[in-house]
Amino acid sequence: MEKFKSIIRDYPFIAFIIAFVILAFVPSVVFTDVYQSHLATLIFVNIVVAAGLNIVKGYCGQVTVGHVGLFAVGSYTAGTLFLYLGLGFWATLPIAIIVTAFFGVAMGIPSFRLEGPYLALATLGGGEAIRLFIENGNFFRSTFGISDIPTPSLMGYNFDSPDRYYFISMTIMIIAVYFSFSILRSGVGRAFMSIREDPICAAAAGINVKKYKILAFILSAMFAGAAGAVYAHMPPGYIHPNNYTVIEMVTFLAMVVLGGLGHIWGGIIGAIVITIVYDLTRPLYKYQLLIFGLTIVLTILFMPKGLGGFIDRYFLEKRFKKKTGTEKTT
Amino acid sequence: MILKTKQLSKSFGGLKAINKVDFELPKNEIRGIIGPNGSGKSTFFNLVSGIYDSDPGSYIEFDGHDITFAPPHEIATYGLSRTFQLLRLYQDMTVIDNVMSGYHTRVPYKFFDAVIGRKKIWDQERAIKEEMMELLSFVGLADYAELNASELSGGQRRLLVLARAIAMKPKLLMLDEPAAGLSPVNVDNLMKIIMQLKEKYGLTLIIIEHILKVVMDTCNSVTVFDHGQKIAEGTPAQVKDDNAVIEAYLGKKMDDEEMRKALAV
Repeated sequence: MEKFKSIIRDYPFIAFIIAFVILAFVPSVVFTDVYQSHLATLIFVNIVVAAGLNIVKGYCGQVTVGHVGLFAVGSYTAGTLFLYLGLGFWATLPIAIIVTAFFGVAMGIPSFRLEGPYLALATLGGGEAIRLFIENGNFFRSTFGISDIPTPSLMGYNFDSPDRYYFISMTIMIIAVYFSFSILRSGVGRAFMSIREDPICAAAAGINVKKYKILAFILSAMFAGAAGAVYAHMPPGYIHPNNYTVIEMVTFLAMVVLGGLGHIWGGIIGAIVITIVYDLTRPLYKYQLLIFGLTIVLTILFMPKGLGGFIDRYFLEKRFKKKTGTEKTT
Repeated sequence: MILKTKQLSKSFGGLKAINKVDFELPKNEIRGIIGPNGSGKSTFFNLVSGIYDSDPGSYIEFDGHDITFAPPHEIATYGLSRTFQLLRLYQDMTVIDNVMSGYHTRVPYKFFDAVIGRKKIWDQERAIKEEMMELLSFVGLADYAELNASELSGGQRRLLVLARAIAMKPKLLMLDEPAAGLSPVNVDNLMKIIMQLKEKYGLTLIIIEHILKVVMDTCNSVTVFDHGQKIAEGTPAQVKDDNAVIEAYLGKKMDDEEMRKALAV
């Protein structure tokens, strides 16, 4: 066991490969109908978005409320590339990631001057502007949406149903989570956190604040772009501007906040919980926004570090007690 | 000379917070900076570390680099580290993360290696962590490494800030009131640690401090600021007897004639 632990510590991707193998068996073993595969794909898409949002909001502390706009950019890059050039998933995914990264730069520039609620307002404007631009442009098929976006195929095998597409979304999710994990565990993650805590002191400690802020925005935009492309190609392959409203933004925020801002697994835990709750409360659609708004408020009030921080705290206090033999004073 | 300023000025609106200060500091010296509140000591620190931009005509040189217009993160890479009067602790990070983030300028690997997550990275990260744990146990905080910084007591926070500033292995360390709010016993302890660190890392130190005993006991030389100007400089003994210094702190000594005039108005 000790040896296994040290191997995982040196080569963390092995753990991700194990997770991949386990998840690959889930549809055939656990799921009873196709809808569950569809739901799982939604969860994976949300995990990618939330992992990205956790970088910029949870770690770097930049309150961005326009993330759903970047998600839309990813989707519509994939959609329009298919519509006008007939490109498939394997071409649209990398292009969507790159295009969204540029939009991430644009979204991040206000953060040089604005912070807190003011930055939230600016990015909210940015996200809404993107959606309105799509909704009112014939180029993007305005409110008709883009339909029949094809599912990917690989070596003659077409991932054309939810239970097959599951493998595509899962692979992307595992890769994305692995990248976010390695970035945040390294010195880059620490630099992000120090900018969140105190930008002036971070600068005095040798951290280029502007560079790292933009880096955080670019990284999270790339995550959102990848998620957007996966979402666009998801069967039945239909995207519509109404899927990228502030309501979606609130759910993304609820995921990151509930999971734990600045917790390495925070966005992932939150994405799983919130997506399932979102699906279960579908009959109560009138109250969904209320539920997620309340979730955010209550989590911040009573569990400021989210579920992830809550679990961490439990183990930390156990360890501290064992080490020093005393109860902690807080 | 490790630090040199010429005609250093900074005004906020009409107030001249720092007015044409020429300052020179040789290597390995411990320099104390004293002066009444609002005399420009902290502004001087902020100018040198690049947090404020100095007024036109100023010149700052650090270790052979012209840093007059350099941003703070660049100055830090040349080896200048500082602490803040209000600590600016990273409250929501663990103690060990606080110290490790001070290591930023020395992190050896590239960003893309970190994205891919190669084994090299984790080895280096572990080495950094070990080194920083050593530093933490040197200042006596090793037991608290995994707690949040906000859970430390006031004295422990002062030690943590000190450790964080040392983590980058600076050539020059600027301490802004390191002992503010400490009890006399803790002050002695802190100064002892600072002196040990100076020996260990071969630091040059600038210390702003209001506790004159600390300055007089530990510093090789003292600079006195008042109203943004340097009014005296020399060994602690020289400065103590300087008329301008006494005037700045206690007011001017008047004879009877002057007193009568002052009261009449």
